[in-house]
Amino acid sequence: MLNTLWTQRALIWAFANRDFKTRYRSSLLGWGWSLLQPLATLIVFAAVFSIVFRVKAPPLGNGQGTSYAAFLFTGIVTWNLFSSFLNLSMSQLKASGDLLKKVQFPGWAPVLGASIVQLVQVGLEIVVLAGLFLWKGNVSWTWILAVPILIGTALFAQGLGLMLAILNARFGDVQYIVTVALGALYFMTPILYPIDLVNQHGHILGWFVKLNPMSWYVQTMHDVMYSLVVPIWWVIPALLAAGLAVFWIGFVVFNRFSEDLGEYL
Amino acid sequence: MSDSARTWNTISAASPGVAVSISGVGKRFKRHTDRRSSLKELMVRGRAQTEEDFWAVRDVSIQIPRGSVYGLIGHNGSGKSTLLKMIGKIYRPTTGTITTDGRVAALIELGAGFHPDMTGRENIGLNGSLLGLQRKEIQQVTEQIIDFSGLREFIDEPVKHYSSGMYVRLGFAVAVNMKPDILIIDEVLAVGDEEFQRKCFDHLYSLRKAGKTIVVVSHGLGQLEGLCDEVAWLEHGRLQSSGYPTDTIAAYLQRVNADESARNPLVVSTRPEDDRAGDGQIRVMSAAIVNSNGDPLNHAETGETFMMRIAFNAAVPVLGPNVRVALQHDSGPLVTMISNHARGFDFGTVQGDYSCDITVPDNPLLPGRYRVHIDVFDFSGSKLLDTWNDAVEFPVRSKSGEIGQGFFQLPAQFRLG
Repeated sequence: MLNTLWTQRALIWAFANRDFKTRYRSSLLGWGWSLLQPLATLIVFAAVFSIVFRVKAPPLGNGQGTSYAAFLFTGIVTWNLFSSFLNLSMSQLKASGDLLKKVQFPGWAPVLGASIVQLVQVGLEIVVLAGLFLWKGNVSWTWILAVPILIGTALFAQGLGLMLAILNARFGDVQYIVTVALGALYFMTPILYPIDLVNQHGHILGWFVKLNPMSWYVQTMHDVMYSLVVPIWWVIPALLAAGLAVFWIGFVVFNRFSEDLGEYL
Repeated sequence: MSDSARTWNTISAASPGVAVSISGVGKRFKRHTDRRSSLKELMVRGRAQTEEDFWAVRDVSIQIPRGSVYGLIGHNGSGKSTLLKMIGKIYRPTTGTITTDGRVAALIELGAGFHPDMTGRENIGLNGSLLGLQRKEIQQVTEQIIDFSGLREFIDEPVKHYSSGMYVRLGFAVAVNMKPDILIIDEVLAVGDEEFQRKCFDHLYSLRKAGKTIVVVSHGLGQLEGLCDEVAWLEHGRLQSSGYPTDTIAAYLQRVNADESARNPLVVSTRPEDDRAGDGQIRVMSAAIVNSNGDPLNHAETGETFMMRIAFNAAVPVLGPNVRVALQHDSGPLVTMISNHARGFDFGTVQGDYSCDITVPDNPLLPGRYRVHIDVFDFSGSKLLDTWNDAVEFPVRSKSGEIGQGFFQLPAQFRLG
């Protein structure tokens, strides 16, 4: 797999380059737009959940009170990385259909290219998040641990994205199902509420939340970015390994079913 | 896990000297209406029971020698493009195997993959990567491509501002400069202006000289005849014949002409009752195109003797009438006028029904549509006895695929002193 990826690096990069250059080329604010959406979500959700529903965020790692906005944004950034990879993978493969009918190249190349560009967006969001924490004075070396967690999240999302993309290429309604599923999964991930909230109740829903792999990625991000604590030693290696495994599976599945991609896209 | 995805693209040619080896290749498509494209359909109807298959290509075996130019001809939908896409590894053969030796670049469409918002230079990079080049290799050929395309002053502008001609020029320049071992061209030879086309052909010849293999699909039969070393003719997905371009193309055209003959009406025209002119002494009754045996034709062939048969009736004795036939090309110009007086033939005094045959030996008219106007004058040429405009219209077709320039081939002879 690595060998294949390596020989196609120029192509992946060329697609990333294309997407990067054309993404906001004719818009005035350019990349500013890409931050507007998560920021707007943040403001609306922060207002609704902290003021209306009075959800309490756990205490900040520096011991100086809580910040629901910072807690929420940590989760949103991680979630957006996941959901945008899934959606982009599906749409990018569909959009490449025309080209796949005329030129022979691996279908995952444009998908990975688009994801690389999406990482720029994630990076921008991380910068905003870091700024928020700096302002709150909530900084620690545990932030470094966010890097492997985010890499794990990205690999996990990409593996899933590759599988969904190839499925969506055959059955056009997959993307709609994914939209609905993502909507539900969003609320089963401790983004809007702390994980303790479901732990307390012991309801069946709590099990759903705990079994949801995205809960692990998001919760660990909360640990290292917000609470500034180091998770149990095996958690981050496990998240990374899971990400790698899912990516590998996704890649194999994609290649297995992409042989006649040029025909049915 | 390695390249298991497209194993068929890594097989290299078995026998030396063969660039592309196609053996027993078939391609089956599912009828579009029968494709399960939504989950619901799949669940409700289950696996396709009423599978309607369509074989676009069937049992085709071709060996394409290295360093040759190989042409594919056939009707639309005969499977040429599908075969080409299989050589280019865009489609996978359903049956049989295709082995290629060397890097394949497929020009199924010029400028495929160009992004309108990116500049010409950026698109060269993307297109190069698509054709399988590494970054360093692309950098090496970029200048060459820009020079070849002749678009240096526009190369840093987004291609959406390019004219369609500029667009395809850049596309062609990229593809042919990618140094492929096997170049696949689908109907894209007619790009750009005359000058650029010549450049393209010169380049194709130089590629061939350099031992590259070119596989080309085109409907420009004359073009193919000059360019190709060998031509294969596909009919309904099957290989009909292959071999020397001239023979194959002639066989193909014979079929096309025969098919058309079966479909097209004979060129015979009877004059409407109400179409009257002149004083009625002579009246042209009908006009037709016939072969030298007098059998009616539906077209004339360049280089093939044919006759125009004009029937007229003289109500009263008429002395030495002059029948003049004007041939007008469909696009407007008058091509020629012929008359029995001009050819020094005197009918003498005529009365009653006549059939006048005008033989055109070794038909010099080039392919096109020709309209026939008939005038009849008296012996002095000063009085118009009858006139029939647009008496009949007939097509001229070519046997060889050569269209030629102008309206007719002067029976000229060359001599070198």
